[in-house]
Amino acid sequence: MVRAERYIWSVSLRVSPARATGALLGALLVLFIIGPLLRLLLEATPGALWAAAQDAEVRDAIALTVLAASAATLVALLLGVPLGYALARYRFPGSGLLRGILDLPVVIPHPVAGIALLLFLGRQSAIGGTLGRAGLEIVNHVPGIIAAMLFVSAPLLVSGAREAFATVDPKLERVARTLGDSGWSAFRRVTLPLAGRGILAGALLAWGRSVSEFGAIVILVYNPKVASILIFDRFTLYGLPAAVPVAALLLIVALLVFILLRWLEPRRAPR
Amino acid sequence: MIRLEEVGLSIGKFTLEGVTIDVPSGGYGLIIGPTGSGKTSLLEALAGHVPITSGQITLDGQDVTGLAPEARGIGFVYQSYHLFPHYTVAENIGYGLREFPSDARRARVNELAGLLGIAPLLDRGIEGLSGGEQQRVALARALAPRPSILLLDEPFAAVDPALRRVLRRELQLMREREGVTTLHVTHDVDDALRLGDVVAVLADGGVAQSGSPEHVFRFPNSPFVAHFLGSGTVLKGTVTRSGPSEEGRFPARFVSGSLGLEVVAEREGEAHAVIRPEDLLVSSSPFEGYPRNRFDAVVRRVERLGPIAHVHLELEGIPLLASVTAASVETQSIAAGQRLHVALKATAIHLL
Repeated sequence: MVRAERYIWSVSLRVSPARATGALLGALLVLFIIGPLLRLLLEATPGALWAAAQDAEVRDAIALTVLAASAATLVALLLGVPLGYALARYRFPGSGLLRGILDLPVVIPHPVAGIALLLFLGRQSAIGGTLGRAGLEIVNHVPGIIAAMLFVSAPLLVSGAREAFATVDPKLERVARTLGDSGWSAFRRVTLPLAGRGILAGALLAWGRSVSEFGAIVILVYNPKVASILIFDRFTLYGLPAAVPVAALLLIVALLVFILLRWLEPRRAPR
Repeated sequence: MIRLEEVGLSIGKFTLEGVTIDVPSGGYGLIIGPTGSGKTSLLEALAGHVPITSGQITLDGQDVTGLAPEARGIGFVYQSYHLFPHYTVAENIGYGLREFPSDARRARVNELAGLLGIAPLLDRGIEGLSGGEQQRVALARALAPRPSILLLDEPFAAVDPALRRVLRRELQLMREREGVTTLHVTHDVDDALRLGDVVAVLADGGVAQSGSPEHVFRFPNSPFVAHFLGSGTVLKGTVTRSGPSEEGRFPARFVSGSLGLEVVAEREGEAHAVIRPEDLLVSSSPFEGYPRNRFDAVVRRVERLGPIAHVHLELEGIPLLASVTAASVETQSIAAGQRLHVALKATAIHLL
């Protein structure tokens, strides 16, 4: 007769001083991030939140923010995915420089980006003038908000797409080609589905970055107001109590995006 | 039929030049060469993934040099199989059959899966498949659209020796059944000898030698090929004529260090002598009269390889390799340290 034996594993709960110090330092940073956000959410009472949600100006600002961020993300997807693919797949003269250029908007202060965009797309510039005459006003118009959002968020999407494509072995596409696929068909049937989750994560990150943008937009388009500018406006005009409910509402929207982003993040790299 | 004529390609600093290989229709060609010799690049050029810089590629009589990969009618199996991770086994096998009606597609997938013993896996994802299962799925996927050409990139590199023997047999059966012309790259000399009708040895940016595996193995045209294929002991020395010529060949003496051998040569001077293990006769009792080359050597090691054994000998500091039957090792009690009588026919020594 075979007797089943039970093995009991004892787990040592002793923690070394180095590990305890590391954990404490990490916990401090996490508290520093969570603390202010929780404080903001707790400050906004349900009544104040409801009142803010009923406020047409707040609703319009949040809707404008969400729509403009979505438009900027769509444009970034359209222009950035092919670029991310090229950067992941090919080494060409200047590809290193191109990567550096794409990272620039992340490292320059956003008011600087706003001023640069104003000079580049303002009515006085060749491009802004031409677009204006064609009926597409940039400064103090919605396209200006989208342009500012695109400028600050596109690098995140390109970087996400590049990393996602880099995880897909090019030989998978080659196999698909020998099985009768054209280049586009192999991309559509093999590479895109495998890189899709990573691209989507990059797009959501870009969307979140667009929603949170203030510095570049405030210089290019003060009105109509996006949520971040409205919060700044309420704070400077009416003080903290007026700004808190709007800020809390925007935070809730950003948190929803964050949760979606974490859920969609690739759980493992495609082989 | 696969014909590469004077094909050249360039990838970064690596170049291949003047590669000419012919595999007859329904035949099995092998490209063998050391790591980094450009075997896989050449296969990818044949498939249209890597552009060639010169020459012509003809498949079944059609010049495909400028054609896209999907227009070449090729099946490709990579070393790591590269199954599509987002598809099931059945979807992987049926990937190249999307133009087929669904009934025909299902029938073809089931047929190949049945032949390769992977029918129970069809609805599974590729996660968790063993190396052998992945190899079978990759082979079925490549053969499903009935290509006329099958390209194999080291398909047995990732499997253990026992499974490799099984897969070799299955591959032979499948390709004979499908009547597909095959080109297989490998660095495994065993693959070349067991599978190929034609073998090309790739080295130094080109084809070092090509021909039937038996011929290339027995008559390597350079010390490199002899060393790489393990054709036997390669000795560097000098050939000196010792008799008159007959049909361009003459009796001669080959001297390498302290070892002198009677040989049949075509030219005098510096040369390499290849002594194949199976041509070196060993015995615990002396050879009488014949053959002309007779000497004594010390056994350094006996390597048992199933029905045969390799006897590593040393003759005045020169290592020699002899191949004998395992039974011979037993009956003659051949063991390390033993002194053996060694004999070698002059005509069995291949001079380079």
